[in-house]
Amino acid sequence: MIEVYLDDLDRELGAVGIRGRLRRRVLAEAEDHLRADDGALERFGTPGEIAGAFAAELGARASRRAAVGAFAALGVAGAVFAVSFVSAQFAGQPPPDTWPLLAQLALVAAIVAPQVSFVAGSLALVRAVRRRELVLPSAELAVINRRTGVALLFGLVTMAALGVLALELRNDSAGWWVALTLIGVAFAMPLLVLAAIPAAGAARLRPRVAGDPGDLFDDLGFGRMAPWRFAGRVALGVGLVVFLAAAVQGDPFDGALNGSAEALACLAGFAAFGRYLSLRR
Amino acid sequence: MKGHVDLLLLSTLRTGPLHGYGVVEKLRGLSEGAFDLAEGTVYPALYRLEAAGLLSSSWTKANGRRRRLYELTSRGRGELARERDEWQAFAHAVEVVVT
Repeated sequence: MIEVYLDDLDRELGAVGIRGRLRRRVLAEAEDHLRADDGALERFGTPGEIAGAFAAELGARASRRAAVGAFAALGVAGAVFAVSFVSAQFAGQPPPDTWPLLAQLALVAAIVAPQVSFVAGSLALVRAVRRRELVLPSAELAVINRRTGVALLFGLVTMAALGVLALELRNDSAGWWVALTLIGVAFAMPLLVLAAIPAAGAARLRPRVAGDPGDLFDDLGFGRMAPWRFAGRVALGVGLVVFLAAAVQGDPFDGALNGSAEALACLAGFAAFGRYLSLRR
Repeated sequence: MKGHVDLLLLSTLRTGPLHGYGVVEKLRGLSEGAFDLAEGTVYPALYRLEAAGLLSSSWTKANGRRRRLYELTSRGRGELARERDEWQAFAHAVEVVVT
């Protein structure tokens, strides 16, 4: 009987994403417990119940740690990005419309990807910090894990795009900028990959705890309104900031173009990721 | 019981290391059978407390079987003292109100 129970527990642990050393430890402790007295098997709980309890207890902590770790790694990547982008204007590069196609594509990626990464990573962190309960609904853990995953993926895309830019523009830019960018990318990318390991581990856990995934307004804690109206206001605000920044520098036409593009990108991001990242229900 | 699992588990370990079965036995004995739970569900909570640095654990051998022993860390003792103070203040307040 005990052997059958342990086989079932082994299968259930696998079904909720508990593997490797942890699974072996759980099984060894369960066997020791079950052999301690004749009635232990009846009192231990069903394999599904025990596996579910492990996934629930470990899931919230794993997702929280992955979100915090990812945000820390993204902070380093963000610093690399900022230094490279700001210093590029002193690197003597030709205007972007004269760049090779691959460099132009990399530039677009280097503008869009960090914004997606920043928003997803910040929202993962906010949810992880706001929800301190020991056990969280499975749907909510999935939201944190997705946000963390998207943040890391787009962080990696950003670093890759910066690397491509540096390589493509190596003959048209100051050597120090190319070196600075490539060294920064080489430093930040492994950190992002390392941060992806606990994120993958957290995503593998599949607890079965009922509950609502929540939305953006649960993260913010205020301002609940129709989601698309909120997205419209954010897009308008971002577009205005971009326009005003350019207008102050004496280029309002360029600012209007970039501001409109930025606002549209905001709305497109909300449409593409809104449900996946639980920005809206 | 759910909201007080940590306090109960830390309390059972305050006099020395125990394995999971020992924790359950002690909990049942001290509570005179009041806490009726699926015994296996104690282990996830023990793992969580260990991950939080409140418990440490190590393998030993007993009756030819591998056995994991849990004990309080110094952080765990501090947390136990804090949670016990909180509980006593709460219990005292409830008692004053209901009696």
